[in-house]
Amino acid sequence: MALLEIKNLKMDFGAGADALRAVDGVSLTIGASETVCLVGESGCGKSVTALSIARLVATPPANYVGGEILLNGQDTLKMSNGELQKIRGGVVSYVFQDPGASLNPVFRIGNQIKESLKLHRPLTRPSATLSPAGGEGRGEGVRVLKNVITDYDTEVIRLLKLVGIPAPESRIRNYPFEMSGGMQQRVMIAMALASEPKLLVADEPTTALDVTIQAQILDLLSELKRRLGMAILLITHNLGIVGDMADRVAVMYAGQIVELSPARELLRRPLHPYTKALINSVPKLAGGASRLSAIPGNVPRIGNFPPGCRFAPRCPIAKPECSEKIPELLEVEPGRFVRCPFWK
Amino acid sequence: MSALLEVKNLKVHFPVKAGMFSRVHETVKAVDDVSFSIAPGETLGLVGESGCGKTTLGRAIVRLVEPTAGEISLDGEDILKMTGSALRARRRKFQMIFQDPYGSLNPRMTVEQIVGEALDIHRLTDSKSARQKRIFELLKDVGLDPVYAQRYPHEFSGGQRQRIGIARALAVEPKLIICDEPVSALDVSVQAQIINLLGDLQQEHGIAYLFIAHDLAVVEHISRRVMVMYLGKIVEMSEAKEIIREPQHPYTQALISAVPEVDPESKRKRIVLPGDVPSPINPPGGCPFHPRCPIAEARCRTEVPALREISKEHWAACHFAGNKIEQSNRAGFQNV
Repeated sequence: MALLEIKNLKMDFGAGADALRAVDGVSLTIGASETVCLVGESGCGKSVTALSIARLVATPPANYVGGEILLNGQDTLKMSNGELQKIRGGVVSYVFQDPGASLNPVFRIGNQIKESLKLHRPLTRPSATLSPAGGEGRGEGVRVLKNVITDYDTEVIRLLKLVGIPAPESRIRNYPFEMSGGMQQRVMIAMALASEPKLLVADEPTTALDVTIQAQILDLLSELKRRLGMAILLITHNLGIVGDMADRVAVMYAGQIVELSPARELLRRPLHPYTKALINSVPKLAGGASRLSAIPGNVPRIGNFPPGCRFAPRCPIAKPECSEKIPELLEVEPGRFVRCPFWK
Repeated sequence: MSALLEVKNLKVHFPVKAGMFSRVHETVKAVDDVSFSIAPGETLGLVGESGCGKTTLGRAIVRLVEPTAGEISLDGEDILKMTGSALRARRRKFQMIFQDPYGSLNPRMTVEQIVGEALDIHRLTDSKSARQKRIFELLKDVGLDPVYAQRYPHEFSGGQRQRIGIARALAVEPKLIICDEPVSALDVSVQAQIINLLGDLQQEHGIAYLFIAHDLAVVEHISRRVMVMYLGKIVEMSEAKEIIREPQHPYTQALISAVPEVDPESKRKRIVLPGDVPSPINPPGGCPFHPRCPIAEARCRTEVPALREISKEHWAACHFAGNKIEQSNRAGFQNV
């Protein structure tokens, strides 16, 4: 069984006549200790898809109209608030784009990490007798065994060491503003790891960082994955990161997945016209070509998606019938799915 | 003298005060002794990480911040000595395009007012109809339909707004445009449109650009020459292709290796530098890069390396310029 299975997820913002479809039939699976990249431009629905896994999008304004999000076989769309509390951090942890805005500015970073520990990994004293399983009934199915800890401070320091923060013993007393962006992002990752999640969702974790710091954080994520064996869902708009990190990639455009494929094959031989155009529009180091092949037009905004294939108005190989019917996401080669009948 | 812009020993220092009444006891050397020149119609790229002073350098050239020392001459005239109307008249020659297409357009002005303001200030059109004709021309130049002239900035997408910003800069027919991260706020698929547009406009009007960005691939693509900045100083300057092929400074080497690559077959190894860019208030002594440099030696801690010509037109500020750095150990990891 896959760790995460999103089946035909449909989500609107607003309701009734004003409803705007942000996510339109997204299906995606992530196996244990697999890294999947979700690539797309702003407004394509990649972040809300990822936030939906732990139901972090407020309802309303969001409104789930269809589909399932199976996490360890349980549908998070049907969970009660109590159950969701358990999986948030317990099974899925998030790292966001802007560490400066995600950390609480008035608490020391050590205490912020401790908060996550207290919620998800209660202290076990060596002498304490095991309490009966009463009161654990809710969320039983999503409970995951955690490593036993006996002292929060030691564990916080261990986590900070794990994410490569020098001199963690003194750093735990720092406030977020005393740290650089790269260090803040390491603290965010430590916080996400504190609860020993099975799935780490990293939403543009390096977009706000400089390239040399980005290299450090990407290195850290691959190293942590190797050591801890967790699955990663990495959201990015940077195709360069995909090649370094991902096992599989899903490319999103206007609320739909247009291509889903093993990462190396997608980069070597993209099949969907959008993926091709996206790869070609990025300047490459020592690339040479005097003119970039730009994609004409703009990314369609939510509520303004064109009929039929949503990429058709910008597509170089569009045919009249493309604007009539939304093409299906079909498996055209083993493991490779494309939402375009003319991909050849 | 053939250079359009000539910058000599430019310094921009900001005073740091501890409180309202205390004396200045520290300075941030945002730009520290920078010299370079731009030829007419040329694109000079400027790369560096946040806080290295690249934006301050760009703003100092158009005198949006006052330089502390140095010389900036445009067409042979020292613009640092000018004030008031003399400076305003010279502003026709140099314009700026900003990073944030949302923050740099007045939300209460229509596109026509935004672009027309520049024409009015410099009295470039003598009648209402000529003014309108010119605005339509400019909008067409940047790939916008003139029917949008009466609309407000919020009705446009990021890429379109950046086009409005470019039209505004073009209105006064400048010889030099400082482009401060003009594409980094845009979607990937729209970036290429703006980069192509800037290239086309250069061909057509012979404008020179100082193109500031943190994305090395973008800078290399658009520029003839590239400068790399670190902590307020130029650490390397060369022809664009050459700097990518044969980077001399270890910082440039690391910067190039850190650019994520789309090509899965790439053999390039990522050099991961330890640590962060140090605070410009107390920059490290000697070479400012030495605390993060994998090939630093004792000399680097005490002696500031001068920017010297390694090969023809290729300058680098490193005692050991040209020494290749190997993939360093996985930086930042400790055994737990």
